[in-house]
Amino acid sequence: MLASSLLRAILWAQWRSLLNLRSGESRLGRWLGSLVALVWYSLWAAVAVAAAIVLGRPSRAELAVILPWGLMSVFFYWQLAPVITASLGAALDLRRLRIYPVPEDHLFLAEILLRLATSFEMPLVLLGALIGLWRNPAISFWWPLIALPLYGCFNLFLAAGLRGLLESWFAHRRVREIAAFLLVLAVGAPQLLLWGGITSLGRGLPWRGPSISWPWVSFGRLACGEFGPQDWVLVALWLTVAVLFGRTQFDRSLRADAVETAPVALPASSKKASGVGTLISRLAPDPLAAILEKELRSLARSPRFRLVFLMGFSFGFLIWAPLTRREGSFTEGYPVLVSVYAVLLLSEVLFWNAFGFDRSAAQFWFVAPAPFRYVLVGKNLAGALLATAEVTVVLAVCRLLGAPLSGLKVLEVYGVALTLCLYLLAGGNLSSLRFPRPVNPEQSWGRASTGRFQMLVLFLYPLLGAPVGLAYLVRYLTGSQTAFLAQLSLAALAGAVFYHASLDYALKMADRRKEEFIQTLLEQGGPVLTR
Amino acid sequence: MHGAPADPASPAIEVRGLRKLYGEKAAVDGLDLTVPRGCFYGFLGPNGAGKTTTIRMLIGLARPTSGEIRLLGLPMPERALEIKRRIGLVPEESLLFERLTGAEFLQFAGRMYGLDRATAASRAAELLEFFRLSDSPRKLIAEYSKGMRKRLMMAAALIHRPELFLLDEPFEGVDAVGARIMKDLLLDQVRRGATVFLTSHVLEVVERLCDRVAILNQGRIVLEAAVSDLHSAAETLEDAFVRLVGAGQGLEKPDWL
Repeated sequence: MLASSLLRAILWAQWRSLLNLRSGESRLGRWLGSLVALVWYSLWAAVAVAAAIVLGRPSRAELAVILPWGLMSVFFYWQLAPVITASLGAALDLRRLRIYPVPEDHLFLAEILLRLATSFEMPLVLLGALIGLWRNPAISFWWPLIALPLYGCFNLFLAAGLRGLLESWFAHRRVREIAAFLLVLAVGAPQLLLWGGITSLGRGLPWRGPSISWPWVSFGRLACGEFGPQDWVLVALWLTVAVLFGRTQFDRSLRADAVETAPVALPASSKKASGVGTLISRLAPDPLAAILEKELRSLARSPRFRLVFLMGFSFGFLIWAPLTRREGSFTEGYPVLVSVYAVLLLSEVLFWNAFGFDRSAAQFWFVAPAPFRYVLVGKNLAGALLATAEVTVVLAVCRLLGAPLSGLKVLEVYGVALTLCLYLLAGGNLSSLRFPRPVNPEQSWGRASTGRFQMLVLFLYPLLGAPVGLAYLVRYLTGSQTAFLAQLSLAALAGAVFYHASLDYALKMADRRKEEFIQTLLEQGGPVLTR
Repeated sequence: MHGAPADPASPAIEVRGLRKLYGEKAAVDGLDLTVPRGCFYGFLGPNGAGKTTTIRMLIGLARPTSGEIRLLGLPMPERALEIKRRIGLVPEESLLFERLTGAEFLQFAGRMYGLDRATAASRAAELLEFFRLSDSPRKLIAEYSKGMRKRLMMAAALIHRPELFLLDEPFEGVDAVGARIMKDLLLDQVRRGATVFLTSHVLEVVERLCDRVAILNQGRIVLEAAVSDLHSAAETLEDAFVRLVGAGQGLEKPDWL
């Protein structure tokens, strides 16, 4: 089979899968998705135009400084952005494709082209740079034309290899969870730099020395036409390394048996969590207790949930610390802020799409001889318990960090977090049935709810948080703690009424939308993985 | 919900004028069916005939467009909870919660069917042993093979000693030993008075196990008979099936094949 026919077949199958998947979305959802893509690529097109303008003027000596910095940015975006943004991009799902009689070279080519298609921003920027260099009278026509496409190829092959390598590492659950956690913490690093001062930024960067020929330096010099024989050797070396790395990793992925199929013993932490679940569930009668226990066990064993739970009291502290620290000590609002942030983080895995982790097994809830009300209440109780546990850990960490924490403050933190939980649970019951989405509990990252709902949630958070916000407004206006607590109690009461009403409505929705709901949770993807 | 008690002499399954439309297309088109109690009943049909849709309507996962369903003498969905307590189900798609172990899932299912914690735990252990699933007690269901999942679903369907089994392709993906265990067990259940309603594409299995069969084609029943009657007519189930669903008629094999 010709490579072009193979590519056409794969891309056609993926295109049809996407179309079939999106055919369920409303017209508004499709429009919004297209609009976001348009804005995103327009921004990158603007960056490309800026590169074309900026690179048209400097002298050759100035370019020798500017260009490597630009190429370095391209390199890091190309290689790391997909990882940091919780996605490894699209790639061939080799488990589905390796059964076909297709030469491995063709599959590799398809993989490389997919890498190109899913990181289209960088080729766009390189094209802008190429035009800029052509406009520059100090630079000859041919050198940028050779150097920049070669630099693009270098990045493509490297990215393909890096993806394969990361996938093989991430096939191990623990590595995946630790890596995801570290990456999340890395996102908070700029906050720490802001907190600690940015004067040290840039000190001792290894690529600053001109004697070290990093790829962006080598290719930059080649593009400017300023190079000697050693630069040619370096460019050839970088290219060879990238091609070999990309191909080797691809071959390894092709031959790798799924590590996931190896039997896995339950980790000790899960056993402890299960023990806690058993203990708590003894307080309620079956089937509520059975549901509650099942939820606690399942969630404690889901890497996805564990990551979010960890983030609540680690990443939360990291990003709010600079904003809530005055003259060397934490402000009073710090524990509340981190707790609310942690509960909002948890809402994605606990509230908004409560049946996502169940996937096809969600139909069990409809065939089991238990009223669906118990199912929702059981899931809600599990969510509330875990949110309470999260807040407790947040308070413990606050204590360790020396944040001000009086008895009244602890009461305020629990009061605010649990009142907010009531509203989130009420909204979550409706969204879980209206916008279900199957979620792999093994994946530490990726979307947990539908794109349409993610847009909606931007409006829902302020709306559902407004009653609690009102209590703070009352305190701000009156300066009275009693007035604050009274208003918070009112908010909790209103939340309970709202929860009760939404539960009844959710039950009707469950009955009405049962078939659609189950079908959505059974859906499968196409031949290209997009994580 | 407590309604009138069910008539113990009523059929295990009674369906009248059952219809399910998806848009304009009828997946099930005016189905009438009576399955007597204590019967091993085979429900057959080519792919897309409407078997799974029928089972989904019987257990309340899909709402009929029109028609009546009575299971164990009770109307569905009006008395759904009472019915669900008395049926055992093995559906086509997995009903298993992947982040539980096999034992935990069985205990959970038992408690959902009203068993107390201790009974659910002891029955779960026995069923795991019986279905040869007790070797890896700490293994999550996510790690189970397809055959193991089917066996576990069968175990979950049995834990509360149901009166009626609704089984959609229960032997699919199960190895020969596992399938044999399941078949023997189902025959035992029928002997003790339970009813088994089974769909399968393996006609030999249906022919050997079932007392009666119905063949569904394009949402309608085209044959309902005792297996012994088919044999006396000197016809195998496969012959009858092929004749009735029209496979092989009017089909021209492509030249290149």
